[in-house]
Amino acid sequence: MSTIESTLAPVAPPKARAKPGLSPIDRDERRLGFALLAPAFLLLFGVVVYPIVDLVVTSFQLNNLAQPWMGTPFVGLENYGRAMSDDRFWEATFHTGLYVLVTVPGAVVVGLGLALLANQPFRVKWPVRLGLLLPWALPLVFAGLIFRWFFEYTQGLVNNALLMVGLPAQAWLTDPTLAFIAICIAIVWKTSSFVALVLLAGLQTIPRSLYEAAEIDGAGKLAQFWEITLPMLRPAIVVALIFRTITAIQTFDIPFAMTNGGPGNSTETLAMYIHKTTIDFLDLGYGSALAVLMFIVSAILTAGYLRYTRRDPSARGH
Amino acid sequence: MAGIAIRHVEKSFGRAQVIHGIDLEVRDGELVVLVGPSGCGKSTLLRMIAGLEGVTGGEIAIGDTVVNDLPPRARDIAMVFQDYALYPHKSVYDNMAFGLRMRGSPKAEIDTRVNEAAEILQIGHLLDRRPGQLSGGQRQRVAMGRAIVRRPKVFLFDEPLSNLDAQLRGEVRVEIKKLHQRFGTTIVYVTHDQVEAMTLADRIAVLRGGRLEQFATPYDIYNRPASRFVASFMGSPPMTVVPAAISADGHHIALQDGTSLPIPEARRPTVQAASGRPVALGLRPEHVRPGEARDAGDVAVDARVEVIEPLGSETLTWLTIGGRSMTGRFPPEQAVQPGQTVRVTLAMSRMHLFDGETGAAIAA
Ligand SMILES: Nc1ncnc2c1ncn2[C@@H]1O[C@H](COP(=O)(O)OP(=O)(O)OP(=O)(O)O)[C@@H](O)[C@H]1O
Ligand SMILES: [Mg+2]
Repeated sequence: MSTIESTLAPVAPPKARAKPGLSPIDRDERRLGFALLAPAFLLLFGVVVYPIVDLVVTSFQLNNLAQPWMGTPFVGLENYGRAMSDDRFWEATFHTGLYVLVTVPGAVVVGLGLALLANQPFRVKWPVRLGLLLPWALPLVFAGLIFRWFFEYTQGLVNNALLMVGLPAQAWLTDPTLAFIAICIAIVWKTSSFVALVLLAGLQTIPRSLYEAAEIDGAGKLAQFWEITLPMLRPAIVVALIFRTITAIQTFDIPFAMTNGGPGNSTETLAMYIHKTTIDFLDLGYGSALAVLMFIVSAILTAGYLRYTRRDPSARGH
Repeated sequence: MAGIAIRHVEKSFGRAQVIHGIDLEVRDGELVVLVGPSGCGKSTLLRMIAGLEGVTGGEIAIGDTVVNDLPPRARDIAMVFQDYALYPHKSVYDNMAFGLRMRGSPKAEIDTRVNEAAEILQIGHLLDRRPGQLSGGQRQRVAMGRAIVRRPKVFLFDEPLSNLDAQLRGEVRVEIKKLHQRFGTTIVYVTHDQVEAMTLADRIAVLRGGRLEQFATPYDIYNRPASRFVASFMGSPPMTVVPAAISADGHHIALQDGTSLPIPEARRPTVQAASGRPVALGLRPEHVRPGEARDAGDVAVDARVEVIEPLGSETLTWLTIGGRSMTGRFPPEQAVQPGQTVRVTLAMSRMHLFDGETGAAIAA
């Protein structure tokens, strides 16, 4: 604590002095405030700012651990240029986009259903809560492994079930389209419970009297859902969408555990390609450039959502 | 338009019974106010009329239809909630139009009716706003507007004014009365504000612990309370009620410290039956006046002034009479001081007598 204070002390007073109206007590308060904030700032700097800066710097370097003799010279935008003409990068981006397009709405729809279910006045609440929390609490790789086993060709639950009802077994994990579908199912299962938790919290803030008023006004259950639940839930849905979209852009663990990107590269995501580039091929420079590109896409999408939410409230009249 | 018949209605939540068989007949076009202390079941009864709660026993009819098994939307009622329950994401216009829209009214008719209601309530300039952009009083008006556009058979109000400040409450109260006179619709109105009850009601139903204590006109509730509970619940400050005993011949009533007060001739026959039993003597503050006895039946006693509350138009005076605390309404020019002993007249002809055990009024 004392070291932080001594490093910060010279910084704070000039700022305080710049405001002539500040009393000595206010100045002390201010100094204490900075001192108390310092640990948080240092931590934030250490775990967020520094790695990002380092990542960006590395993305402008030739930095390949497989070729240590080359050193780490700056190569400008070369890594980015390489990405633009790298088919595997575009394919991975395309796959990632598909995952986003399918699993984000998928998780929100399923999550909404789960939230509505959990919001019912059950007499015994714990099975519902457990059912909601379990997929969320499960590590991603576990979920991937479980579903890999579900969709396994000879022993898997899914094929066994298909055979039992007289349908042919499917090559779930070795056919590109089926593998994509299987992975999407696993992702939706895994992520919809988080969405459900967010939406459940939102549902519980809707006053019951609104439904009673609507009931008296003549709205049936379906009309109540469209006219009250959905619009009132909009802010929560946007939050869920933001979180889900960001994690969907970073999709890694589940396809990694289920197919490792296969067959071929047909289910490989951007995050998996970055992982392969840096960990398997040891090409830190190129991997960093890819990571920066992924970060930019996330940032743009998030900004878009935020704009959408900020634009809202009084804009829509009747 | 329709009256409401409540026939021996009961309600239990789980094992807890909160309404114990209430019978109440609301006439067509009547404004009935339900009053009672917190938790006595006013809201529950109102919500059963609305259909938001089922009935456990008995029967509710609106007009000629028994509505026990009808959902709220089929009962042709409108309700104004305590928290207004306006749809926050809809404009004032859409809030008011919602009920008509749900019932499939044509757009042009909705428009006419909403604008008409908005004009009556003077909220025409607010139609484009959201509820969040309105003051409490404006929200209240929108809630009423939403109820009146539908022109239902019955209006139900659950403490609609309790979130307004005193002045606004007075204004809106008058407004509600005007609306009732204008539309003549049957209204059931819940409040625990006795001024609201007295000023609005055609008849008041006083509830206590899920039972109907008395159902009568405001005049009768005030002047002929059926029980000690009603007597001390209605009136501000409340009626003073003290334990007492009636002499064997029915000519005197004795307070606990032995002070004996003569009973006016006219009241003697009815009270004699209660002689020898513990009773409670009730006197409204306006029947405890300063000065010597003037009218027949008046009794002058000495009283000690404990606390005074000057209200401008009158001074509420807390007195000790016969070892018991009583409240009097004194004219403001009557300067009394705490600690003083003053001469006070009790208008015994206006006294109320209640059974000491059951609290039931002993017929006047
Ligand atoms: N949903 C419920 N479940 C269980 N008990 C309830 C429920 N609603 C009301 N009660 C109980 O029923 C009784 C009557 O409640 P009610 O809301 O009708 O009182 P009230 O007269 O409207 O009181 P207030 O003046 O405070 O609004 C109370 O004891 C309350 O605890
Ligand atoms: Mg209530």
